[in-house]
Amino acid sequence: MSNEKLREFIKTAMSKGLIGAVMAPTPTETSYTHALITSKRDVDKLVPIAPVMQWNGADMLRRITRLGDAPRKTLAILRPCEARTFKELVKFNQIKPDNIIVLVYDCPGTVHVRDYAKKKIELETLLDEMQSGKISDSVREACKICEYPVPVENVGDVGYGLFGTDDPVFFPLSEKGSEFLSALGITPGERDAEKWVRIHRENRAKWLENERITGGRKGIEDFLSSCLNCHNCKNMCPICFCKECFFEDRTIFEYNPDKYYDWADDKEGIRLPTDKVLFHLGRLVHMGTSCIGCGLCQQACPVDIPLYRLFGIVAHDLQKVFNYTPGITDDPPPVMDFREDELHEFEGLREGGE
Amino acid sequence: MNKEEKQEPVIVGFFCNWCTSAAADLAGTSRLHYPSSIRPIRVMCSSTVDPVYLLRALQEGADATILGGCHPGDCHYISGNFKARRRVAIVKTVLKSLGFDDTRVRLEWISASEGQKFAQVMNEYTDYIKRRGQSEFKYIDSLGGDSNEQ
Repeated sequence: MSNEKLREFIKTAMSKGLIGAVMAPTPTETSYTHALITSKRDVDKLVPIAPVMQWNGADMLRRITRLGDAPRKTLAILRPCEARTFKELVKFNQIKPDNIIVLVYDCPGTVHVRDYAKKKIELETLLDEMQSGKISDSVREACKICEYPVPVENVGDVGYGLFGTDDPVFFPLSEKGSEFLSALGITPGERDAEKWVRIHRENRAKWLENERITGGRKGIEDFLSSCLNCHNCKNMCPICFCKECFFEDRTIFEYNPDKYYDWADDKEGIRLPTDKVLFHLGRLVHMGTSCIGCGLCQQACPVDIPLYRLFGIVAHDLQKVFNYTPGITDDPPPVMDFREDELHEFEGLREGGE
Repeated sequence: MNKEEKQEPVIVGFFCNWCTSAAADLAGTSRLHYPSSIRPIRVMCSSTVDPVYLLRALQEGADATILGGCHPGDCHYISGNFKARRRVAIVKTVLKSLGFDDTRVRLEWISASEGQKFAQVMNEYTDYIKRRGQSEFKYIDSLGGDSNEQ
């Protein structure tokens, strides 16, 4: 039903010539993938709200608009986390937003791709559980502790409210969205999703307290002990958009044979391949301040390391230092900005740290 | 190399060309003593140091790293040192968050005229790191070290 109404919405917008293209998920044999359509006759192939998030939609928009503006007015239907990624990537000049209208909906969470391929937990089940005010057990860990599972003002353009209402409502999130809705002749509706946010944040608070990785070397080595060093987490991360990754650079990570033997002498034996933990720590340092919390790193891990516990919790600490919420705050990302008078607690030597 | 031989710590210093490196020269020409534990690397600006290199130095066996730049407002490239400060804040936060000793990364502003300060900071930091003992970071992904030790 919620998808049906969205498809009608898309068709009306296309008939009125307000949009020339749509990016939204479409089903595949065992999953859902994003699709770009440009004609009204293809709208029925879309399932705008999918039970799975195989890729981050904002990452797809980045691929589309990396080399220039979208040539036609495009409606992108995104989850709240994807919309936050969208906003963050716009700040990083990775997405050109001018011709894109983003629609964001109340998210029931997503099932792990692998679970979906096995069990096919359908969207209706997730939506029913959401309406009963319960976070489904089938959704991914990152979804259970999502900080913003609903549309947020100024993150995206149009909101689509599902929680606590039998008839989904549209409401504007930005001026652009407001104009879009009035051009369509839709009266903004209301719904109260406070409870949906609250139960997620309660979960999140507990998670931040219980799942923290501590203990320095032993903690991180144990946590990453089955890591294959496949870099899938980096490839799936929407914030890791560099064309050439530092950690794929052979001039840095390819060594002379002697180097390995010297290390083995010096460190009483080394584990191979080298630089496995350094890759994750380095990635944290590079993208942690802008980690959105989509949890795709964890979904991508072939050996099921709960990576989002590492990235999400360290990112939480980092974002607290800079008083920055990626995808929500309007300021530029911490790594692109500075203040003249700040962070004095990181200068010099402060004993008692540890 | 066994542990007894390695009493003197190794501290890798990344010093900016315009201020801290000049301060190191001044300390030398003024015949001020500073410990041989410092392994200086001259960089064009403190902001050219990718924070991963600080972690990298620690993993290669350095007991500590120190990043030296111009005083705020004096950067040769106008704002490099402010960016460096954000990067150091990120590295230290990541280390602390995971339970590592974040005092093994240090940021200092030392201008070209502060040879005295340079020597003093290096002496004091070497003493501090000596008291702190060997870094566990070095043994990440190796078979050595005592993994139960903080």
